[in-house]
Amino acid sequence: MKQVLKLRNLKVVFPTSYGLIRAVESVDLDIGDRECVALVGESGCGKTVTSQAVMRLLETPPAVIRVDSIEFDGQEIKDCSSKEMQEIRGKDMAMIFQDAMTSLNPVMTVGNQIDEMYMRHQGDSKKEAREKTVRALELIGLPEPRARANSFPHQLSGGMRQRVLLAMAFACMPKLIIADEPTTALDVTIQAQVLKTLRGMQQGCGTSLLLVTHDLSVVASIADTVYVMYSGKIVEKAPVKELFTAPYHPYTVGLMAAVPRLDDEKRKFTQIPGTVPHPARKPSGCYFHPRCEYAREICRKEMPPLQSLGGTRKVRCHYPLTAGGESHE
Amino acid sequence: MKKLKNIGSLLKRIWGHKQGKVGLVMVSFLILVAVFAPIIAPYDPYDVTQRAAKGLPPSSKHLLGTTINSGQDIFSMLVYGTRVSLLVGVTSGVCIAVVGSILGVMAGYLGGFVDSLIMRIVDIMLVIPTLPLVIVLTNVLGRDFWIIILIFVALGWTGLARTIRSLVLVLKNSNYVKAAELAGASRWHIMIRHILPGTSHLLIMSTALSSAGIMVAEAGLSFLGLGDPTAISWGKMLADAQSGGALLFGAWWWIFAPGLGIFLAVFSFMRLGIVMEEIVNPRMKQTSSVYKLFRSLDSSYIEDVFSSMDEYSQIGAKGLQGGETHEASVKA
Amino acid sequence: MKYTYVIKRVLYSIFVFAIVITLNFFIPRIGVDDPAERYYPPQGNMSEIEYEIIKQVTRQQYGFHVSTWQQYTNYLKGLFRGDLGTSFRPGSPAVIDLIAARLPWTLVLSVSTMIIGLIVGVLFGVLAAVKRGRWQDTMLLNASTVMVALPAFFIALILSFYLGFEWEIFPAYTDPNMVSNFAWTWESIRRVAQNAALPILSMVVGSVISYAQGTRNAVIAVTNEDFVLTARAKGLKQSTIRYKHILRNSMLPIVTSLGMSISGLIGGQVVIEQVFNWNGMGTLFLEANNSNDYPLMMGIMLLLSGFTIFAILVTDLVYVLLDPRVTVGDRR
Repeated sequence: MKQVLKLRNLKVVFPTSYGLIRAVESVDLDIGDRECVALVGESGCGKTVTSQAVMRLLETPPAVIRVDSIEFDGQEIKDCSSKEMQEIRGKDMAMIFQDAMTSLNPVMTVGNQIDEMYMRHQGDSKKEAREKTVRALELIGLPEPRARANSFPHQLSGGMRQRVLLAMAFACMPKLIIADEPTTALDVTIQAQVLKTLRGMQQGCGTSLLLVTHDLSVVASIADTVYVMYSGKIVEKAPVKELFTAPYHPYTVGLMAAVPRLDDEKRKFTQIPGTVPHPARKPSGCYFHPRCEYAREICRKEMPPLQSLGGTRKVRCHYPLTAGGESHE
Repeated sequence: MKKLKNIGSLLKRIWGHKQGKVGLVMVSFLILVAVFAPIIAPYDPYDVTQRAAKGLPPSSKHLLGTTINSGQDIFSMLVYGTRVSLLVGVTSGVCIAVVGSILGVMAGYLGGFVDSLIMRIVDIMLVIPTLPLVIVLTNVLGRDFWIIILIFVALGWTGLARTIRSLVLVLKNSNYVKAAELAGASRWHIMIRHILPGTSHLLIMSTALSSAGIMVAEAGLSFLGLGDPTAISWGKMLADAQSGGALLFGAWWWIFAPGLGIFLAVFSFMRLGIVMEEIVNPRMKQTSSVYKLFRSLDSSYIEDVFSSMDEYSQIGAKGLQGGETHEASVKA
Repeated sequence: MKYTYVIKRVLYSIFVFAIVITLNFFIPRIGVDDPAERYYPPQGNMSEIEYEIIKQVTRQQYGFHVSTWQQYTNYLKGLFRGDLGTSFRPGSPAVIDLIAARLPWTLVLSVSTMIIGLIVGVLFGVLAAVKRGRWQDTMLLNASTVMVALPAFFIALILSFYLGFEWEIFPAYTDPNMVSNFAWTWESIRRVAQNAALPILSMVVGSVISYAQGTRNAVIAVTNEDFVLTARAKGLKQSTIRYKHILRNSMLPIVTSLGMSISGLIGGQVVIEQVFNWNGMGTLFLEANNSNDYPLMMGIMLLLSGFTIFAILVTDLVYVLLDPRVTVGDRR
């Protein structure tokens, strides 16, 4: 399969007055052509930082970044100048943010904000751009697109605003779209519609998708491959079906148990005890050990490597679980 | 008792802040100067009979020189001026905190008619230029020391009341207030026992800031010759300097000394207020300090942190054996 | 929806102005039963009968012989005709004429201070925000910590001392010929500019720094907003992001603070006019205060308040133009 994104050894830290925040620690990420990859983890685990680092959107300062390689569509972009990045952003890779209310400029009409994409990347005149904008809004399922284009963000509903962001991201048919919690701010019913639209657009346009989320039910419905992140490190990587049938990492199991399920009444809705460690004060050994019910002596002392376990699966655990929830050894 | 403890811990936190320490030291110094003015001042500041010592530049005998027209010792006047400035500033600041918090809490918690009445008054006070209004009121009510404080308080509470009100609107919906309401506590009880304590940090901060503001206003008023005519104040010293020919005869000390007094007093109270604001509201601070931090970073430390994140170094700690199997398993 | 907001805003301004007019009417009547006693206080060597006669004459002259309610309606009627009353000055000139003679001179100072302060301040603020954490920003931060503690009249005295008396670059006092011999010639205009230099400079320093600080904070706050990240993710050019997205949104708080700062500017200018003996409304107001010329004092107060109300209204309406979100309700 052709690779759209190959991220190698990404590390990001933020110096603050209470210590160095170790946001992302040596993350590798691969996204294939037309593939939907999900990056899952609790808030504060570094998934948003990772996604913004891929688009080179992190400001330095405050961030300090080291990366071996960001290969996008066969091109190494880690040393691109900011001018070159401006050409790539929006055109070849686009981003959808979580809160459409704050992610849209409140004093510009949504139409003008989408027009900007065409005018910037396709050299269209204002008029041509507006025609394309109306078509894009129509495609994304916004009723009365021509009138809606003249609305300000606050005049639209939450679902419509999110659709505007989708239309904006898909405007130039990019190769990769990064969606950072695209549905978290929405009601559950609208969430499903927007996800469906997103999935449909992704397949229709042949775009690859990096979906950043904390919500495993969203992952189950659209992702192909899943990366689970914990405290700045990838702890598990698996194709979506295998992950759900047989999670290897205790953290993944915990995440799944935290998703309420209607079909299985016997399974209890449980929460992982404790909280994500503060990124400036991480525990020794495996970062997950203080919350892990299987933790042993070695887990407190040594960080387990990210090891392959059959096929394309990887897991970072000294004692990976099998499907039955039993320890491997 | 508990309140005293809170203030103690606040002072400790201010002391722990570099700029807060500066502010605290300066304010304590000014208070000492004001209290012990008769001991510190080498001459009687009111003494206008020093005919031989008119218009002297600073020397060891007259630390900040003397005035041109009456030969008063400027250092002694400066020391005594601390009393007026601090007394007017701090008294008004405290009274403003009291009045502003009561009206702000009432507006926010009681809502309805009380709220709109208070907020309309705030709106009206906002459009009447303050200094001219102060002047008119001193004309009508008199220029006694306490009347001036009264006027400052009457005109100064609006900003604080507005801030407190918006805070109360948030507190009002908090669970502990809701719980107290359900338990049947009276509205006055809730306002005094539950809501007012929630605004205490704002009050202490605003006392420091409005004291500083009042000191500037008092200096302006007495500079215009409209302050308490019997007191020595820094603003009046500046006015005397101007009318007494300090500019014409080059008596720079006569201008700079009272200016320094005003600056020190206002600056120290303002520091204190701003530091408290930072302590209470830490997100105010970050912005530029992060950038300073960024530039002062030890690059070798960062490199150490980065290399500690590598898979290899982790394995290095474990021994080469594990490293090889890991490499192998990744390739597999 | 927007029109409802505009109409509401205009009506509210009129309401506030009506209250201010009423206050204006009643303030000189505080603490006395008979306004004639305020207008003509008893002199030491005057017999009761003599004073009664004087009060009678005063009542007739200023219309105090009718009921308070009638005095109030007469006052309102006068205002509608543009009559602010008669001054105590010899020859009983109309207050409105006295003000009209001074108004242009005051506007010379305030308008130029405002324009210079706003332009330089906003530019400097944007610069500091762009160079966040570097020396330009640090300089602004340090300048503003020092400047807030230095009253404008002290700066005025220092400027007048050095630039006026010591180095003789600009006139330290306003040349009386500037007003009496004014004609629309280059010579005259140049003289006005020379004389206005120091007063404007002393006010501009403070206003530049406060606008710059406000702009800097606004720009940084907007830069941290999510939609700026969106704009960057869209691959827009740096200049497009800066001018089209950041600056326009930063203007919103600046416009608001502009309206709020006007009342303070007016108060500050009263003192500055006094320092330089500038022939404006501020000195007129102080003259009126010194001679207890209530009609003149209250006339100026009314005008200043009316001007402030108007300015706040204008900034509010500009805000509506800039921000599509504002419809009905209080945004403060």
